[in-house]
Amino acid sequence: MKLEARGVKKDFARGGNSGSVLEAVKPLDFSLESGELVEITGRSGSGKSTLLSMMAGMLVPTGGSICIDDTDIYSMKEEERSRLRNDRIGLVPQGHTALRSLTVLENVMLPFVLYHRETPPEDRAKELLQKVGLFDMKDERPNALSGGELRRMAVARALLMKPEVLLADEPTAGLDDENVELVMELLRSAADEGASVLLVTHENEARKYADRVFNMDGGRLCSN
Amino acid sequence: MLSLKNLPRKNLQGYAGRTAALLLFSMLMAAAVFGGSMIVGGVLRGLSEAEARLGADIVVTPAEANSRFDAQTVLLQTEPGYFYMDKGKLAEVAAVEGVERATPQRYMASAKAGCCSMRLQMIAFDPETDFVIGPWLKDSSLSEMGLMDVVIGSNVTVYNDNVIQFYDRECRIIGQFEPTGTTLDNCVYMNFETVNELINASFEKRLNLYERYNPEDVISSVMVRTASGYDTERVAADIRARVSGVSVATAKNMVSGISDGLKRISRSITLTAVMLWVIGLFAVMLIFVMMIHERKREFAALAAMGADRDVISGIVGREAMTVCLAGGAAGIFLSAVLLYSFGGFIGHSLGAGMVVPSPATAMLLAGFSLGSSLLAAKAASMAAVRYICKTDAGLVLKEGE
Repeated sequence: MKLEARGVKKDFARGGNSGSVLEAVKPLDFSLESGELVEITGRSGSGKSTLLSMMAGMLVPTGGSICIDDTDIYSMKEEERSRLRNDRIGLVPQGHTALRSLTVLENVMLPFVLYHRETPPEDRAKELLQKVGLFDMKDERPNALSGGELRRMAVARALLMKPEVLLADEPTAGLDDENVELVMELLRSAADEGASVLLVTHENEARKYADRVFNMDGGRLCSN
Repeated sequence: MLSLKNLPRKNLQGYAGRTAALLLFSMLMAAAVFGGSMIVGGVLRGLSEAEARLGADIVVTPAEANSRFDAQTVLLQTEPGYFYMDKGKLAEVAAVEGVERATPQRYMASAKAGCCSMRLQMIAFDPETDFVIGPWLKDSSLSEMGLMDVVIGSNVTVYNDNVIQFYDRECRIIGQFEPTGTTLDNCVYMNFETVNELINASFEKRLNLYERYNPEDVISSVMVRTASGYDTERVAADIRARVSGVSVATAKNMVSGISDGLKRISRSITLTAVMLWVIGLFAVMLIFVMMIHERKREFAALAAMGADRDVISGIVGREAMTVCLAGGAAGIFLSAVLLYSFGGFIGHSLGAGMVVPSPATAMLLAGFSLGSSLLAAKAASMAAVRYICKTDAGLVLKEGE
């Protein structure tokens, strides 16, 4: 599956009455192929998370298009785009995104229950928790987990539906070296199994796992 | 097992404090709607029972009784009373044109003393001319009363089976009337022979204000039925003009006096219930939206997992419905327990006769109250979904922590 950004840009209106806009992402072209792991680095505020949100179908671009296999995802109805995200895109958002009323295991199984009435794939969820080193905490509530553990849980959750595209925003933030390795190996193996993996980060630890590395600065994407 | 169906319940459990507040307000709203409508229904039912029981078109009492007898509140007054006039007044009243039937009643009150089971109003009637209490007996399938036989009102509680004691005389209870919600429920009914026995017994114990009277020569009231074709108000005016020393009240005035009062009470109760419901609704909506605001990252995360607007609306809607229905059911239950336990006390506190509505009516009102809880749930979930839709999930997730 090919995920492509064509001339995509994003402006945000600045506060106040000046009417000026912030160009968070300047028009750019970018593509992500099956089986590759691409890393976008950049400082905070460089526009990399905005680009990732647009590619995930979560943030409507100001201009240009985001295409999956030549279909503009923003031309789809909201329900179709959501369903596409559930079926084919795994997203690791920034920060903590666990539902605090559910256990760690239930949080990981959550993407499945949104559209399926069958029994959730508990074995796969446990296997993923094992891979991210959280199996022993599967019955804990999220408030018992550290920030790094919550990030790992989010990675496991994003992988549950065996996505064709995996988009990860700072997946290794707050992790120690050992766990960075663990998560990156997991993302790499997802790419090796055929997924298109894009991760944005302002850290350099992931570089050795990436097929291509880009840098983003002031809303512009540059190849490294 | 985790499913979309049980996710709302788990979410509510995860936010116990807010859920408890929502339950409390939902309970209050349902209790206000159910309790309010039950009380209004009970008050109106009491009025209709009282009207049916009154049975007479005109009530004639001694003029001097005015200080202890107010025709407009006789059905609601709580303190037993008695007063007498010469029995010759019966013939005078019966002779007035337009009077079809006239029957005397004789009142007596039991004493707050060891010789009496409890303080009660006694009403005696003349079986030969009576047209007021006789039909109640017939409606209740009770046999004719003999000497020392009594029928008790619905509020009269008897601890010694079938026997009640007044002035050390035992009376045999042959039946009990259905409730009317008025003081008629606190009365004991008997024939003239029985009341004469009891009046004489009270004389013996020096517990009667009217010792100078021979009970057989006095009556307390004359109940009048107007002949058809005659205007009750005109007949009442004629009685006033022709019979001296009496006070004349028409049933219409008595009931309309009560009815006006009850309508005022009903309006106040309805207004209070509506106000409580509206305040509750705003509180539920506010708390619910606050809870959703607190969880906006959770909803953004659900959107990131692929939950569309319908899925999110469904989760929010079920959360609102679960909490409002649970709170509503608890409010209805609590309200029902209080009403069925303290219906009489509530009626007295309101200064109104009240008969708690039948179980069928109560079920209907409970359904209506639950419907109002569902309406509140719908409003709260709509406000919450509107808030979620206005929030850009992409931006919320981009904000990080």
